[in-house]
Amino acid sequence: MEEELLRIKNNAISLILEAKTKSELNDIKLQFIGRSGELTKIFKEITKLSPEKKAEFGKKINETKQIVENLIDETEAKLSEKVRQRVTHNIDVTDPALLPPLGHLHPVTQVIEEITNIFESIGFTRERYPEIDFDWFAFEALNFPKDHPARDDWETFFIRQKPDPKHGPVVLTPHTSNGQIREMLNKQLPIKMINIAKNYRRQSDVSHSAMFHQFETLVVGKNISIVHLRGTLDYFVKSYFGVNRTTRIRPYHFQFTEPSFEVDISCGVCEGRGCKLCKSGWLELGGAGMVHPNVLRTCNIDPDEYSGFASGFGVERVLMMSEGLQLDDLRTLYSNNLNFLEQF
Amino acid sequence: MNIKILDSWLKEYLHTPASAQEIAKQISLTSVSIERVEKQNDDFIYDIEVTTNRPDLACVDGLAREAGAVLPQNGLEATYKPLIIPSEIKKSTDSDTADLSITIKSPAVNRVCAVVMEVQIGKSPQYISERLESSEIRSLNNLIDITNYVMRVTGQPTHVFDYDRLGGNELIIREAKLGEKITTLDNKTYKLNGGEIVAENKKGEIIDLLAIMGLKNSVVTDQTKRIVFFVNNIDSNKVRKTSMNLGIRTEAAQLNEKHLDPNLCEIAVQYGIHLYQKLADGKVVSQVIDLYPHKSEEKHITVSLQKINSIIGVDIPEYKSIDILTRLGFHVRKEDNNLHVTVPTIRAYDVTLPEDIIEEIARVYGYHNLPVKLPLLNAKQIVQEEKNPFYWEQRVKNAFKYWGFTETYTYSMVPENLYEGPLDEAVTIDNPLNEEFVYMRNSLVPSLLRVVSENKSYDQIKIFEISNVYHKRENSLPEEIRVLAVVIKQSNISFYTIKGYLQQLFNDMGIKNYEFKPSDQGGDGAMIYIAGKQNGVIEILDENLLDFEVNFEQLIATASLRKTYNSPSKFPPVLEDISLVISGDILTQEVIDLIKKQSSLVTSVELIDRFESTRTFHVIYQNIEKNLTQEDVKTVHEKIISVLKRKWQIHEK
Repeated sequence: MEEELLRIKNNAISLILEAKTKSELNDIKLQFIGRSGELTKIFKEITKLSPEKKAEFGKKINETKQIVENLIDETEAKLSEKVRQRVTHNIDVTDPALLPPLGHLHPVTQVIEEITNIFESIGFTRERYPEIDFDWFAFEALNFPKDHPARDDWETFFIRQKPDPKHGPVVLTPHTSNGQIREMLNKQLPIKMINIAKNYRRQSDVSHSAMFHQFETLVVGKNISIVHLRGTLDYFVKSYFGVNRTTRIRPYHFQFTEPSFEVDISCGVCEGRGCKLCKSGWLELGGAGMVHPNVLRTCNIDPDEYSGFASGFGVERVLMMSEGLQLDDLRTLYSNNLNFLEQF
Repeated sequence: MNIKILDSWLKEYLHTPASAQEIAKQISLTSVSIERVEKQNDDFIYDIEVTTNRPDLACVDGLAREAGAVLPQNGLEATYKPLIIPSEIKKSTDSDTADLSITIKSPAVNRVCAVVMEVQIGKSPQYISERLESSEIRSLNNLIDITNYVMRVTGQPTHVFDYDRLGGNELIIREAKLGEKITTLDNKTYKLNGGEIVAENKKGEIIDLLAIMGLKNSVVTDQTKRIVFFVNNIDSNKVRKTSMNLGIRTEAAQLNEKHLDPNLCEIAVQYGIHLYQKLADGKVVSQVIDLYPHKSEEKHITVSLQKINSIIGVDIPEYKSIDILTRLGFHVRKEDNNLHVTVPTIRAYDVTLPEDIIEEIARVYGYHNLPVKLPLLNAKQIVQEEKNPFYWEQRVKNAFKYWGFTETYTYSMVPENLYEGPLDEAVTIDNPLNEEFVYMRNSLVPSLLRVVSENKSYDQIKIFEISNVYHKRENSLPEEIRVLAVVIKQSNISFYTIKGYLQQLFNDMGIKNYEFKPSDQGGDGAMIYIAGKQNGVIEILDENLLDFEVNFEQLIATASLRKTYNSPSKFPPVLEDISLVISGDILTQEVIDLIKKQSSLVTSVELIDRFESTRTFHVIYQNIEKNLTQEDVKTVHEKIISVLKRKWQIHEK
C-alpha cells in the first residue's frame, strides 16, 4: 500500500507540472483529491490496517494530500497569470487620455542637472558659494588690479553697504570665480570641484541678461597641466554636445589665469566647414586657463609645488548652443512666459 | 574691441605665400581671434578681436610681427618686414617759424610728442582712403586721414590741430575741473566731472580732450595751413574713466585705455611727419617736442625649463622655446636650466611673470598640438547624499514637476513695488541698471505673483521656484537663504490642497516633526513649523490664489533617507469611528494630540469627516503583544471621551 501511495504521489506531481490550462488542472484535482479521487480512495482502505499502522499511514496520506494540494494551488496561480482573461469593452483607443499631472522644469535647471552629472561622472564635486560676496573674493584675490574695468560700477553691481576694512565693498558676483578662492582657502588639496551659481552683470541685450548662471571647474594638485584642461573640456563637450564635436583652445586674457584660453567647439551645423551661425566652423564656449600663480599664493598654495586649471562657462550659453533649440534672445529664459516654459 | 585690416596692407609688412584664410586660422589659434575673413574685390579684410592685453596686435605692423613668428612654426613661410621710416625731414625755408611750448601739469601724463607743420589740405590718395574705409574709418581729407593711417599702422592713436586756431602757442596739459564744458569735434557738448586730461591754451580755453577725442574749437578746417601733429600717452585708467563717464568710446579711447607702450609715441610722430611730407606737402616748422616724464623700462624674467614642461604638460625642446621667444621679439639667454628673458617694451605691460613666458611658448608651439588627458587625481571629499543640498533640490524639483507644477526662474533683483517690508532694511544695489533691478528680494512670492499676473490667459497656474532670498546683516555679507515658494491659481482652490503638497513633500523628504499652526499675521493661512522652528507660511490671498514659502535649507537639515521597517502586528487592530461635537475654535490637531495621549494602545487618529460642528475621527487601537479585548478598547474610549469633555466640553454625538 505504501508503494501504491508513492506511485499516486509521483503520478500526481508529474501530471500537475505538465498541466497547460486551468481546466486540465481541475481534472487532475478531481482525479486525485476529488470525492472519488485516488487519494480519497486509498484513504478509505486504511480501515483494513492494524490500529498502529492506521495512524501512521493516515498521517502519510495526509502529508501527500497536502503536497498535492499545494502544488495544484501554486500551478493554478501561475496558469492564471498566463491565461489572463481579456475583458471586452467598447473603447476607442484614439480618444483622449486622462493624463496624470506633468509639469515642467525650467530649461536652466535641466542644463544644470546635465552639466552636474557629466562632471560628477569624472570625479568633480559640486559646491556652492555666496552669490553676494566681498570685492576681495570676487576680484582682489583673483589678481584683478584695483583699477580693472570689471571692478568699476559700469560693469558690476555694488551693494549699498559700508566696505569691510579687510575685504572691501560688497558686490553681486559677476562670475563664479569667487568660489575658486573660497574653495582653495577652505579645502584640502587636491581639489576637483564644479561650482554652478547665479551671477550678475550690468548688461542686458539679446545675448546677455543682468542675471545669468555660470559653471566653473577648478582642479588643483601636483603636475596639473594644460593637457588636463584640454582633456576635461573635451570630455564635457563630447558628453554634452555629442561625440563628433571637438574643442580647441585659443589664447585669451583673464586676470586670474595664466596662460588664459578661450574655448571653442566645432559647429554642429556645418561640422567645422564654416557657416553663418559660426566663426569659420567654430563656436565660442567660454574661458579657461591655468590658475594664476598670484591667485595660488593668495590662497596659501605654493605655485612651485602645485598647479591647477579653471574654466568658467555660461550656463545659458551652453543651453542656447544646444542643437535644435533655436532660442534667439537669452532674456526669454527669464521672461517666465508660461507658454515658453511649457515647451521644456 | 574689434578692428579691421586689409590683407594687402598687412602683406606690405609681411612677406608670405600664405593665404588670408591660413593667416587668420593660425593667428586665431595662437594670438588673437580673427573672427572673420571677408572678401573684398580681389583682396580680403581681417576682422580681429583684440584682447585687452594685446593692443600691440591692433595694428598692421604688430600683426605682421606676430604672424612672422607664428606662421613658420606651423609650416608656413613668412618674414616680418618692420616699418621703416625715412629719416629725412623737410624743413620750411624759414626754419622754426612757429613756436609751440607745452607744459605738463598732471602726473597721469606719461608722454607728449608734438610738431608744427605747414601743409596743403586735400584729398588722400586712393590707396589711403581705401585702406581706411576697409578699416571702417571714414576718409575725410589728407590731414585727418594721416592721423588714422598712423594709428592703424603703429597702433598709436594720434591727433591733428589747426595751429592757427589754438589761441596762442602755449599749451598746458592739466586735469579738468568739475563743471568745465567742452564741445567735441562731432559737435556734442559735455560737462566734465573733473580729473579728465585736457589741453588748455593761453586764453584758458580747453582745446583738447587728450587720448579720447579732438575738440571743435581746434580741429582742422578747409582753411588750415599749419597743423600741430600731436601724440600722447596718458594713464590708461584715466582714459578708461573719462571715456566711460562721458560715453565717448572712440577707437583712440579704446586703444589708449589698454596700456600702450609710450615708446610708440616717437615712432608715430616720425611716421606722421613722413606721411605729411609725402601726402600733404608738409614742412616741419618747429622743434619736434618730446616730453617723456614716465619712461617705460625693459623687464627681465627668469623661467626654468622644468616649469615650462610641467605647466604645458609635454616636453618642449629647449631650442624650440628659445626660437619662439626670439621671433616674438624677446631676447633670450640660457643659463643652467633656466631661460633669462628680456621683454620688449611693446609687451612690457602684458608679460611680467614666468607663466607669461610659458604662455608665449605654449601658444606659438600650438595648443592644438598638445594631447588630451583627464586629470586622474581625486578630491578628498566625501559626499553624503543625505547631506547633499543639490540632491534634495533636484529631487524636490522633480516632485513638483510630477505634481504638475512649472518651475520659474525670476530675477533676484526686484523693483520697489515687489519688495516686501521696510526699504531701509533691504539689500540694495547702489548702481542699478534700471528701476526694475534695485533691491535683492527677501521673498520669492511677489515675483511668482507677478508671473501669475503676466500670464493672464491661463485660468489655472501652478508654479514653483527654489532660489535665494537675501537679508541684510550688520558688518558682514548679506545672508543668503534658499527658499522654496509655490503659487497656485485655480478657481475655488482649497487650503487643504496646498497643505497636501507640503505634507507629501515632508513625507517624501523623510521629515516627521512638522506642524501646521494658524497664522498669526492676520489674514488666512498657516504657519509651518519643523522641529519646533518656524519654517514658512501658507497664505490664502483670495479664493483662487494661494501660496506658500518655506526655508529650504531647514528642510534639508531635517530631511532623511533613513527608513525603518515595522513588521506587521500579529494581533489585529480594532477600528473605531468617533463622532464628536466640537466648538469651532478648537483645532483638529489639538483634539488628535489629546486622544493619542490617553493610551499607548491608540496608534492612529485621523479626521475623516467634518460636518457643521461634528468632526468624525477614525481611531485605530492596537496592542503589538496581544489581542485586544472589547473591554480594553472600551476603557480607553471612555477615558478619551471623559478627558475631551473635561477639557473642551466636547461630547460624543
